[in-house]
Amino acid sequence: MKFPRITLAVATILTGAVFYACTENKGTTDPAPSGNDAFKTGMLTNYAGNLIIPAYADLSAKLTTLETQVNGFLDNPSATTLDAAKPAYKAAYLSYQATSAVYFGPASALLLNNYINTFPPATSQIERGIASGNYRFDQPVVSDSIQGFPALDYLLFAPNAVGKFSGTDSPARKKYVRDVMARMKTLVSNTAAQWNGPYRASFETSLKTDVGSSIAFLVNQFAYELDAMKGPRIGWPFGKRSNNIVFADKCEGYYSGLTKELAVANLTNLKNYYVGGSGNGIADYLVLLKKEALANQVSAQFDVAISALNAIPQPMSESFAKNPAQVEEAYRQVQKLLTLIKTDVASATSVQITYMDNDGD
Amino acid sequence: MVIKEFGSNRSVSIAPLVTFRITFGLLMLGSLIRFWWRGWITALYVTPPFHFTYWGFEWVQPLGDTGMYLLVFVLISCALLVTLGLFYRPAIVIFFLGFTYVELIDVTTYLNHYYFISLVAFLLVWLPANRYYSLDAYFGFIKPRLRVPRWTIGILRFQMALVYVFAGLAKLNADWLLRAEPMKTWLPSKSHLPIVGSFMYDDWVAYLFSWFGAGYDLFIVFFLLNRKTRPTAYGFVLLFHAATALFFPAIGMFPYVMIASSLIFFSGEFHQKLLSFLPFRQVALPAEPYQFWYRNVAAGLVVVYVCVQLLVPIRYLLYPGKLFWTEQGYRFSWRVMLMEKAGAAYFTVKDQTGKKSWTVDNGQYLTPLQEKMMSSQPDLILKYAHYVADQFKAKGVAGPKVYAEVYVTLNGEPSRLFVDSTVNLAAKKLSWRPYDWVLPFDTN
Repeated sequence: MKFPRITLAVATILTGAVFYACTENKGTTDPAPSGNDAFKTGMLTNYAGNLIIPAYADLSAKLTTLETQVNGFLDNPSATTLDAAKPAYKAAYLSYQATSAVYFGPASALLLNNYINTFPPATSQIERGIASGNYRFDQPVVSDSIQGFPALDYLLFAPNAVGKFSGTDSPARKKYVRDVMARMKTLVSNTAAQWNGPYRASFETSLKTDVGSSIAFLVNQFAYELDAMKGPRIGWPFGKRSNNIVFADKCEGYYSGLTKELAVANLTNLKNYYVGGSGNGIADYLVLLKKEALANQVSAQFDVAISALNAIPQPMSESFAKNPAQVEEAYRQVQKLLTLIKTDVASATSVQITYMDNDGD
Repeated sequence: MVIKEFGSNRSVSIAPLVTFRITFGLLMLGSLIRFWWRGWITALYVTPPFHFTYWGFEWVQPLGDTGMYLLVFVLISCALLVTLGLFYRPAIVIFFLGFTYVELIDVTTYLNHYYFISLVAFLLVWLPANRYYSLDAYFGFIKPRLRVPRWTIGILRFQMALVYVFAGLAKLNADWLLRAEPMKTWLPSKSHLPIVGSFMYDDWVAYLFSWFGAGYDLFIVFFLLNRKTRPTAYGFVLLFHAATALFFPAIGMFPYVMIASSLIFFSGEFHQKLLSFLPFRQVALPAEPYQFWYRNVAAGLVVVYVCVQLLVPIRYLLYPGKLFWTEQGYRFSWRVMLMEKAGAAYFTVKDQTGKKSWTVDNGQYLTPLQEKMMSSQPDLILKYAHYVADQFKAKGVAGPKVYAEVYVTLNGEPSRLFVDSTVNLAAKKLSWRPYDWVLPFDTN
């Protein structure tokens, strides 16, 4: 009879099962994936090597230039020196938009985006910090909105900003600006260092699509960024949450007047991630999955949404109130794009729009 | 075959019941510890401010941080007691009630195998699974027995048969058989697997999985019931569920539950042999079988249970429209890994006059998991709309109207509008009637 063999099999499977169930790692990237998939490996290598790592390198370089320019302004505060620094500021903020979408792995571990781009800035908290000299940048949530680009936006470009750098509290104010700059540079270079370290390999060899896999991160971030466009970037300042009462000063880059450029750059970069730049991206993966029509539909919708954003008259912060039809149109097109990502694309790539690991059937 | 088991008053060996009790207890122990360890108690039952309750069970609410951990701790202890057969009856009663309570807190955590566990725990409440090889018997709390009425094994086999056969019947649809969906969508995401990975983009593999899966579910029970084919059939059980565990790890404990539970189809002699490998067995035992003192009541209840279990999975026949789309009659019907569905749901609140409007930030009220589940299931969309209405009422908006713009994709079909976006969902009552506000699948 076969009893002992079956018993053994059952015992092995059950032990294995409990062991396996208890050792699965939570939400982190699979450290030792097996098997291979040349397409996925190639796609992820393209993302890491040609898009993500260069994006952080570019941001790092732009921040260095910005620091030099801002120091020039701080050493000799005037409208002229500020004007001289503004292109560097714009270049750095636009460069950030190419990294905004890849908020997972090292960036997420360092809370990079939270610290570097939580808007609107908490202006009175910033002023209190300057006055007391008592501020900390390393407390999650609490110190999110007193640093990063939004803090610089307020400190450098708010009305009468220049004058405040010559007043009695100007040394404290200058120190605050320098601290913000230093903090941004550190965060970005630490993120870049991790990407250039072991994280890159684990990203490129993560071939699954479950929670915590590279493909799931990418698709989820597409949805997340579009949700942010629909929410804090455009929708909320436009009054979508507040019965159409406009909160123009809550938009991204309000004081510097860069709102529109930033939004367009954000979406343009997102599209670039979607198509994978000049290499293979999620769009090509969809084609491999025999979803060519969907791949093209999403690509086309990106273009429609970008044109709709471009059609909003400058400055965008004024258009929220003055040109609601154009803003509404852009909002609708972004929502259409978000819908495609959250439903068809997520479905086709077997990605769940959630960051929480869970069982399903 | 299955039916024959019930009429008989003949007694059979208690051994299968004992194996069942021990493996069930151990699996629950492992499963709950895993649940705890992965942080799901907090993520699912402590953090969310809102829960999708079951109709009629709105009073089932989480018990707070300490309360939930305490409850799961009690369940873990009960699972251990059931395994050991110590204070078995109170332990399994508490386990059944506690486990079911946890599952009733939030519809978005519904899994077929959690429902299965609740049902099996309910059955075990009534079965004398502690009459042999248990601490209850060892300490003399109860009289040990070697034989039990045949239906006590039969009812568990029936429960297993139900899961498999209904799961098989559910697969007999055009998407599954003719388009090999959702397998065709899911398998390419498994291309990382060694050796088999490279085949995952091939259509024939999706068809193979679909047809083999359907055939397995439909017929495995009959091969397990037949003494001659049983060992081979169990080999297939191991193979099939090992494959599902490998390919679909997100399915969780389900494969292991089925592998362990399928042992119930083996004979008494087999289980006696199995138990003989265990230490501390009592050998000299009274010969007279266990008798239910409420024998006629028990027989009546078994018939009622069987009928309910047969009818619940086919209640969908009472509803018009595509089952996968409306999901009316979808839950509690052993439809396991049957479709790929994803949605995006946008809600707008208007005041009585319709002049003021607010869009809703779902992330403010729901966890990503809850939002994902809600976005493609009509009853959850309605419940959420009511909740949103309550939130706005509390904020001072009188008579808020809630409109939903929801898009859903099903089995790779392009996403389309799911519910009528002109209907005020706040005014729609939750009911058993067909949803007149869900748009038909085909005509838009």
